Amino acid sequence: MGDFDWNLLWQVDWAEIFDATLDTLTMLGVSLLFTVLLGLPLGVLLYLSAPGQLRARPRLYAVLSLLVNVLRSLPFVILLIVLIPLTLLLVGTSIGVAGAIVPLVVGAVPFFGRLVENVLREVDRGVIEASQAMGARLPQIIVKVLLPEALPGLVGAVTVTGVALVGYTAMSGVIGGGGLGDLAVRYGYQRFQTEVMIVTVALLLVLVQLLQSAGDRLVRRCRLD
Amino acid sequence: MISRDWYITKSNKKINLYRFWFFETAPRLAFAPPQPGRGRPSSLQKAIMIEVTDLTKHYLHAGSRVAALSAVNLRIGQGEIYGIIGRSGAGKSTLIRCLNLLERPDSGEVRIGADALTAYSERQLQQRRQRIGMVFQHFNLLRSRTVAANVRFPLELAGGLSAAQMDARVDELLALVGLQDHQYKRPAQLSGGQKQRVGIARALANHPDVLLCDEATSALDPETTDAILALLADINRQLGLTIVLITHDMRVIRQLCDSVAVLDHGRVVEAGKVLDVFLQPQHAATQSLLAETGLGQAALQGQWRERIGTPLLKLTFVGEPALQPVLDKVGREAGLRINLLSGTLAEIKHTPFGLLLAAVVASDVEVQALPAIFAREGVRCEVL
Repeated sequence: MGDFDWNLLWQVDWAEIFDATLDTLTMLGVSLLFTVLLGLPLGVLLYLSAPGQLRARPRLYAVLSLLVNVLRSLPFVILLIVLIPLTLLLVGTSIGVAGAIVPLVVGAVPFFGRLVENVLREVDRGVIEASQAMGARLPQIIVKVLLPEALPGLVGAVTVTGVALVGYTAMSGVIGGGGLGDLAVRYGYQRFQTEVMIVTVALLLVLVQLLQSAGDRLVRRCRLD
Repeated sequence: MISRDWYITKSNKKINLYRFWFFETAPRLAFAPPQPGRGRPSSLQKAIMIEVTDLTKHYLHAGSRVAALSAVNLRIGQGEIYGIIGRSGAGKSTLIRCLNLLERPDSGEVRIGADALTAYSERQLQQRRQRIGMVFQHFNLLRSRTVAANVRFPLELAGGLSAAQMDARVDELLALVGLQDHQYKRPAQLSGGQKQRVGIARALANHPDVLLCDEATSALDPETTDAILALLADINRQLGLTIVLITHDMRVIRQLCDSVAVLDHGRVVEAGKVLDVFLQPQHAATQSLLAETGLGQAALQGQWRERIGTPLLKLTFVGEPALQPVLDKVGREAGLRINLLSGTLAEIKHTPFGLLLAAVVASDVEVQALPAIFAREGVRCEVL
């Protein structure tokens, strides 16, 4: 890149960059929302059903755990292709931003669920025992004890998952998903337009930085002591 | 010992409101005047509050079954403060967790009041537990909640109160434990003693008839321990609440408890009134626990008898005689030469008692007569 002509930056199609940024933000926002909605219950279920926990179901836990591991070990690019029939069924199209959201969620839910499980395990057993001693029922323990006590950790888990999702969205170009990552691959890599690559990567970097610092700030605000 | 913040609690006017409020549920005991001297014998003879029958519990450890509790029987009277003492690993924690069935025993029965808890379903048990308070060694407060919200927590669990009623109850409870000024703080901002006061307020929220204390003072320094013990004693007096506590600390038993059970390797090896168990320990486990407090004269006996060469007397003074010159009087009248070897004067639950170890220069016949002479003065004498 030593002989890169920096003036090329002025020839970048900023309208396209803007559209791509919007696409990325849409994919990120919607898929993060669904990931949390589905992944939080999954994480709670993993936590509760693990051996030695409040509702230990070792066989259920083994099955869930295996499923999570399988989904997490599949490369995201493969997941994009494999899930095309499911995506068609759910959103009516398997391409574009809408088509990318289903695989993004399926890819991120197991990741987020595992993070939630680990965060919940950090909640003091004594506090759970105390609430049992006060006659708390399981739903009360989950809503009034587990989740509030784990809140800073949960916010951290959402942040990490959001950052991971930014990375996943870059691959959605494979199914015409659009977004900044797609732009970087199509123009910057395949057509050797280094200036597009630089701009998109810079924007992705800014996005990840913003996500991380917003997350960190939230964690600090809901820290318990 | 009475600490400074203890006075704050006692002098607070809200306490009287609290007493008045409590009149409906526990009229006799709420106004029972504190009786220095002899504890509260009248209330001790009342109905059995907790009855544990043949409780047995095993653990799986490295593939083999290890007995945590073997055929434990306990009868705890209403309004009594009952201590369970033992070394770590004796099964204390398991036992107290079996009282509210946080741990299910393998066999045996637990009754609290009229309720046979061991026959209850999980749902019934949850209902009943709302009226069994529990206080923990490490406080186990919700870090995400303020002091007031922690005390409110059991009220929310139980339901049935409006927000305003809950707030009023929280205010009462915080006044009872002397924490009115700390209600907006988080547990992390409190000292250990303050945390335990929150724990106690929380445990009392739903008007329990039993309070279980799991090593409630073991994480506190001695001064704070005294303040918390005084608070528990006051709550017992005011509310007529039955308190069961487990501890490894004889001092806690001596300061607070009416009765005590000694747990050793999952068995109750000795149980009775604290004074009796302390002054006449029968079992080796009890004697060794007592030895650490300086009350264990037993340890001295063998060591000195041969070197001194005269009979040794162990004299036990309980109540008034402990404060009188009994030894001098008997010595003069019987013409004895007495060599005092060691002695203790202390209090068990406001009852003074003394223990003396003395050597006497006297004939065997004279020595045989001594127990009867001392008995006339209200002093127990054993020839060692």
